[in-house]
Amino acid sequence: MRIQTYAAGLRRSAVATIPVIAVVLGACGGERIPPKQLVDARAELGKAKSGVAARLDPTDVHEADLALQRAESAWNDAPDDPNTLDLATIAQLKAQVAEAEGTNLKARQDIEQARRDREAALAAQLQATRGSLDKTQQELAQKASELQRTAEEAAAQKKQLADLEAKLKDARDTIAKIAAVKDDDRGMVITLSGEVLFPTAKWTLKAGAMAKLDQIAEALRGKEQPMVVYGFTDDVGTRDSNMVLSEKRADSVREYLVSKGIPKDLIKAEGKGPDNPISDNGSVEGRASNRRVEIVVQPKKT
Amino acid sequence: MRTVPIALLGSVLVALAACGSSVPPPNTEWEAASSDVGQATSGGAPDVPDARLHLQLAREDLQKSKDLINKDNRRALRLVELGRAEAQLALSIARAQQAQDQARQAQAELQKIKGAQ
Repeated sequence: MRIQTYAAGLRRSAVATIPVIAVVLGACGGERIPPKQLVDARAELGKAKSGVAARLDPTDVHEADLALQRAESAWNDAPDDPNTLDLATIAQLKAQVAEAEGTNLKARQDIEQARRDREAALAAQLQATRGSLDKTQQELAQKASELQRTAEEAAAQKKQLADLEAKLKDARDTIAKIAAVKDDDRGMVITLSGEVLFPTAKWTLKAGAMAKLDQIAEALRGKEQPMVVYGFTDDVGTRDSNMVLSEKRADSVREYLVSKGIPKDLIKAEGKGPDNPISDNGSVEGRASNRRVEIVVQPKKT
Repeated sequence: MRTVPIALLGSVLVALAACGSSVPPPNTEWEAASSDVGQATSGGAPDVPDARLHLQLAREDLQKSKDLINKDNRRALRLVELGRAEAQLALSIARAQQAQDQARQAQAELQKIKGAQ
């Protein structure tokens, strides 16, 4: 429409056309200061090109680049056209879009990285928990087997004790056939008559005594129980001489038992003389039973 | 001498052709831009201040464009393009903001887990 108007005018007057052409051409080009929008668009695109956007996804940057080229050529062709300013603004906006998309992509990469790190951290935690669980289980298993062992040991000890008691009972039964056996607070007391063991006023063992002591030693051997051999007399004669006699008799019995396998350090001997009579010294029978040797088998120390 | 005005007339025609031409009403472009505004709105742009500004500018551009359709289609088309770019920027800014928020949250969660170790 406008072209026809100008053309019609030109046809009427060629001379009049010259300033018109100048105005028209002047509207389309010339050395001018570029508008702020274009300057901003250039700067914005520069930022987008050097930012993360260009690296991560250059599509938006490319679009912004095209928009700027469009604005630049509009600026070259028609600097005064308001459309030129719009095109520059559009280019600026597209550059900003590219930047925002770059920020977006970068943030998504960060999210992905954080997610991977999180999974790795959780996996590590899981592993650590599993590790400590394994350790606890191992410790539990070890404790259980220790407990089992302790129980087995306790059972074995119990059995040993029962065996020992059985043996002791056997020993007691054996000894009871040849000597008086009783229990008091000192332990098992084997009482042997002085007449059976020794000649009057002597401390060497009679042959028959040895046979009896052989059986006693046999029965007590291996029991590992401490024993004390006590010698006793009646009250006839001086106390000193009775003390000496009772000591020597106790020693004789002790030595004999040691020679038959009772461990030396488990057996002691002691002379009691006329002390601790078990019968009345006023009668012959009483004095006879007071002359005696007692072997006290003490309970095994546990 | 008659050839001179004819040559001049040719130059004038070329120069005018470079400055403008007949443009059809940008109805299709306007619909596309309006759809971009809708996307930016549903994409969270109203919740992010910077994005909200560009969304508002996009709406204004589209309104102005609508008023100019069939009056100045060339200008109407430019305003549609402008509005569309504003709408796209609004959506991009909103998305970037959301992604950055999520990234911060993911980082915080990660630190919490690491702190628990």
